[in-house]
Amino acid sequence: MVEQASAPAPLLSVRDLHVRFPTERGAVNAVNGVSFDLYEGKTLAIVGESGSGKSVTAKTLMNLLPRTAQVSGEVTYDGQDVRALAAAGTKHFFGVQMTMVFQDPMTSLNPVKRVGEQIAETLRYHLGRSRSEALEEAEELLEVVGMPEPARRVSQYPHELSGGLRQRVVIAMALACQPRLLIADEPTTAVDVTVQKHLLDLLDRLRRDRGMSMILITHDLGVAHGRADDVAVMYAGRVVETADARTLFFDMRHPYTEALLRSIPRIDDPVHHRLDPIPGRPPELIDPPEACAFAPRCIYAQGDCLGGVPELSGLVGLHRFACLHPTGTERGMAAMSANRAAGVTAAGLPVADSGGGG
Amino acid sequence: MAGTGHAQLRDRDDVLLRIKDLVVQFPAGRRRVVHAVSEVSFDVAEGETLGIVGESGCGKSTVARAIIRLVDITAGEVVYEGRDLAGLEGEDLRKVRPRLQMIFQDPISSLNPRRRVRDVIAEGLAVWGDDIGSWSRDRIDELMDAVGVEARYGARRPHEFSGGQCQRIGIARALALDPKVLICDEPVSALDVSIQAQILNLLKDMKRRYGLTVLFISHDLSVVKNVSDRIVVMYLGKVCEIGSTAEIYSHPAHPYTRALLASIPEPAPTVDAEEGDIGDELPSATDPPSGCRFHTRCPRATDVCRDVEPVTEQIGDIDHFVACHHPVAVEVRTG
Repeated sequence: MVEQASAPAPLLSVRDLHVRFPTERGAVNAVNGVSFDLYEGKTLAIVGESGSGKSVTAKTLMNLLPRTAQVSGEVTYDGQDVRALAAAGTKHFFGVQMTMVFQDPMTSLNPVKRVGEQIAETLRYHLGRSRSEALEEAEELLEVVGMPEPARRVSQYPHELSGGLRQRVVIAMALACQPRLLIADEPTTAVDVTVQKHLLDLLDRLRRDRGMSMILITHDLGVAHGRADDVAVMYAGRVVETADARTLFFDMRHPYTEALLRSIPRIDDPVHHRLDPIPGRPPELIDPPEACAFAPRCIYAQGDCLGGVPELSGLVGLHRFACLHPTGTERGMAAMSANRAAGVTAAGLPVADSGGGG
Repeated sequence: MAGTGHAQLRDRDDVLLRIKDLVVQFPAGRRRVVHAVSEVSFDVAEGETLGIVGESGCGKSTVARAIIRLVDITAGEVVYEGRDLAGLEGEDLRKVRPRLQMIFQDPISSLNPRRRVRDVIAEGLAVWGDDIGSWSRDRIDELMDAVGVEARYGARRPHEFSGGQCQRIGIARALALDPKVLICDEPVSALDVSIQAQILNLLKDMKRRYGLTVLFISHDLSVVKNVSDRIVVMYLGKVCEIGSTAEIYSHPAHPYTRALLASIPEPAPTVDAEEGDIGDELPSATDPPSGCRFHTRCPRATDVCRDVEPVTEQIGDIDHFVACHHPVAVEVRTG
């Protein structure tokens, strides 16, 4: 396949990213060879459960890892080597070009500082604004993020605001320097559904109005489905499947993606619908075996799944998946029938002779 | 409603638990009061699963805690098998408690970290030994087996288990006393997506196996729909809507229920996306709005909503009750 000559360069490109944390029990392999591209104006959702490496990936991009972390791989932003910028101690890149919104707004805000001052601080440090200019801009930013009565809010403290309004303050801070890339790490996990909808609508609108790109980190498949152009599913530190959102949700190839979608209750399922849970639990990240990390929980698993880690096949930017017996293919069907006939997978997981998985 | 009223209370012999005009208030200092639960009424029939759904601050957890008297009841009745638990004290209260057991949201912090899980599960039996009858190591093994934790791990401590395993142990502890009512307060909210279904299926299996009546509290509308026969929608300490799950999800009549259904990431097909556009600001529970407590955020509110609190009324003759002056018109259906 030939790359189209007219294709623009991605804004952010990540290649073969690895992150290890040495611990007393051995090295934790939090991220194991993650690669993706993000284009201008697009939203990429990174979906995974706890321990999948999604947040560590985001923190690596933002240069927020503890010093003990061992990182390798390439991160390129608009032609610049991001890890070199980090190593050089560049002051006006992180938080300016690329910014991040965290899960819990209470811990990302200073509890003893008025919210206007906190937004102004960013403007003064990165853009050299005077105090009064910065406070004026802070009020405008609060208006942009849909804060009711911004003039009154600038002089309030975080504890005087509801969770949803606090998260708006955090988003205003992230927007202060007109970033081209916003990384949102579970931005709505700590808030109620009605507030979640407002915040996601707000992020959508800001991205469109300002031509920003966005990485949305979430454990919620519904959020990823409704809000992302592309989705990457992570499991045990690897991207196991990535595609445009429609393909990923309706024509998935990786058994983990399929199993995850089957296991969650959906609003249009009938009452008392029997769920298909994923058996077992996520793997240890210390000394993982040289095998597909999902194999012990996978109803398709064959002998070759235990013999090595499957590569993420296909070209970056297209539908890619790391599976030897993908669901929805002949190989996958054959693997499933063989396991059903045997009553057990190659990894020792019992499989019922008929019906769904689990 | 967010209103009062008793239309939803059923006059049936199999009603196991009846909550009537329950009020729970907490002092908030300077003579102010948090109105956590205000004149809430509902009932649960034997063998039923009742879901209580609403956002943070709606009083759903406080209702659950009031039923088993973990918080003090300010006023109202909690009638269990014909006895009002609200007035019980001392030994009488102690005697009834094994019948109503609870499992909590955070599975790890709700288990004593210093004790072996076998002892955590057995603790209630040890305390109640004489009243409950005989119990043995076999009984604990059977419980661990029932909830899917291998009995040979009984000597381990909670930190050696994952969140999902700890929730299974919490369920075994609750079941040890052979309760009639199991109250589940956000039992899967702290668990990973792939583990939630395991626990939800386990709860359904345990319900069938031990003949339980379940109160299931959650903010997650899809989860509540999956497990509940009937649901109560609460807002700011009041009941909005109550009825059979299938009916409420297919014909939501209260504007707040509709807002919830429209706000979830993949909205329900029965509502329009704009119906989720209610303001961010939850009014203060120390100074709740007059009339219908939802009127400050309600797209359908009129003057009457500000002045007069709505009372629950039945829709047609089916199991569907709504407390609203302007419920979304659904054609009157008969059962």
